[in-house]
Amino acid sequence: MEEKKATAKTDRRGFLKLAGAGVVGGGAAAAAAAVPAAAAPVEPTKTEGYQETEHVRRYYELAKFM
Amino acid sequence: MGSGAMSISSDGDDAVALAAEDQLRVQLLQLLATPLSAPPSAELLEALSNIGGDDTALGQALSACGAAARDTNPEAEAEAYQDLFIGIGAGILVPFGSYYQTGFLHEKPLASLREDMSSFGVEQDPSVKEPEDHIASVLEMMAGLIDGRFGTEVSLERQKTFYDDHVGSWAPHFFKDLAATRQSAFYSALGALGVIFLEIETKAFEYV
Repeated sequence: MEEKKATAKTDRRGFLKLAGAGVVGGGAAAAAAAVPAAAAPVEPTKTEGYQETEHVRRYYELAKFM
Repeated sequence: MGSGAMSISSDGDDAVALAAEDQLRVQLLQLLATPLSAPPSAELLEALSNIGGDDTALGQALSACGAAARDTNPEAEAEAYQDLFIGIGAGILVPFGSYYQTGFLHEKPLASLREDMSSFGVEQDPSVKEPEDHIASVLEMMAGLIDGRFGTEVSLERQKTFYDDHVGSWAPHFFKDLAATRQSAFYSALGALGVIFLEIETKAFEYV
């Protein structure tokens, strides 16, 4: 059961890698990284006042693929 | 707050760098959510004008979005945003999950989303008046569940349940409708990108 589950997750990763391959080859990620985080109208926030600001923005800067 | 460069978990200790494909998913969710939450600024259009991809379906949809972002300006898109989502009385599209699933705002799908948000420890910014099942909000919450920005690690199984209940159940229809609109080349390209991206997401969650 666990083994089957692990295989499914590996297959899923493979699928996603393949599906996203066209993007990694292009310039998408760098531009996507420029999109400001937390822009949605509802701006979900973690209760207890967790705030994402510079923290997350920095993450997007670092998450470029190329 | 997290200390590692790639960490965005609020406690930081057990944060694990996201796999490249998950980073891409988060970025695409954010990319789709941002111009749906408000009309794009000049800076956003400038950033988006650089996106592109190869000849895969996803790559082409990104290239089309990039080209459309290059060929427009914030004023035209502000007008398109108004026509599409706000309008006089109502826009052409009503970008809320409850409406898409029941024909009415504030119905059961919204209540169910609120319950799930509460189980993840996420709540609405009190300054926001729109219901939480706005398309941009559910996409952003999905991104948050993947990258852990709400400070809790969420299993793939719970991600799948959230996706099935609050995104996959209606967002593909919304993006299909958006792709078919003629208000702006940019928003219809964004719709087409959403359709392709959510097809991938739906298929990928079938593995879980």
